[in-house]
Amino acid sequence: MTDDIFDPHDLHPDDFLEEVHSFEFWFQSVDGYLSDRPHGRLAASNDVPIEGAGREALITTLCNYCVGETAALEGAGGMISIAPNRHSKIFLATQVVDEARHLEVFLYRLRELGVVDTEAEIARRANPNLLRFKDRLLELVRTADWAGALFAQNVVLETMEAIAFDAHAQVADPITAQILDGVIKDERRHLGFGENDLGRLLQDDPDTRVRLGAIRQELDALVLAAFDGALADTGSVREDQPTLGRDYLATIDRLGLV
Amino acid sequence: MSDDPLQSAAPSKTDRPTFTLEDRGFLEVPKKWRKYYRHWEGDGDSLAPNEIVCPVCKVVIRSRREIRAGDRLYCMPCMSRLLVVDDGTGSLALEVVY
Repeated sequence: MTDDIFDPHDLHPDDFLEEVHSFEFWFQSVDGYLSDRPHGRLAASNDVPIEGAGREALITTLCNYCVGETAALEGAGGMISIAPNRHSKIFLATQVVDEARHLEVFLYRLRELGVVDTEAEIARRANPNLLRFKDRLLELVRTADWAGALFAQNVVLETMEAIAFDAHAQVADPITAQILDGVIKDERRHLGFGENDLGRLLQDDPDTRVRLGAIRQELDALVLAAFDGALADTGSVREDQPTLGRDYLATIDRLGLV
Repeated sequence: MSDDPLQSAAPSKTDRPTFTLEDRGFLEVPKKWRKYYRHWEGDGDSLAPNEIVCPVCKVVIRSRREIRAGDRLYCMPCMSRLLVVDDGTGSLALEVVY
């Protein structure tokens, strides 16, 4: 069989969409970068001692990652029933598995750091802005607002998470950095699904665009405040934050939601 | 004949340099597609004439042919359908096609 048969750029658009939304594509993709990483890290990795203020900050950050991942897990699960087509339903099923894995590896990391009652610790350290964001996202899902839920979860939350995780991974201890690296690879699919599916939906639909603009005004403040706190806790370089805002705004601009 | 409007409007692919793609360790797509993508390696990295950066997920997309304005490319890691355009400064850029 020649290479020509496998050139992805020669696929018909319908075949491309079917391929990248498929469970098989997801399975073969995650097999490539997760199969040798129990709990999200290489088996041979050695942990380094993390103590004092650094440990406290990392616990707070991981607790808030757990809030975000729980929101995405519950959101993606609920969105399956309101997704408008089978491609989206199948993709969201893979996202549910990804989000569950993220939550699990972050909880495991919290226990490694000495947190015994992870539920209580998350409740104690959760950022109120992130909790409000979660409530609003799940309200959009409950009211079967597909465009609103897709925008809130797969554009706003996923984009912010991907950028925050990437910034954190640059300064994190080796184990946490490996965990974040695997999560970021998953987030690429989630945010890409959000932008592209929403982009198709918004074509020639100015009413939805106006409505999403209003949702954006409401959610931006919550999620930006939450991730600003998370980045400060991780010790990420403050100068990175204009980049964070620029990448998010570029997505918003491409979707015409400015 | 393709019924994809982007593909049918694309410039000819038979009169340009071609490249043999090697796997660059990109693991985020199934094996058969991996050599068509790679990670940007930061300072000191540069793009070959058959490479361009995805505006959505920042992965480097690779083609077996020199990339030219009008080409249609896919970014499988973020599921984006893309059109190569001249950015007005003599460089190439990608527009997301929804």
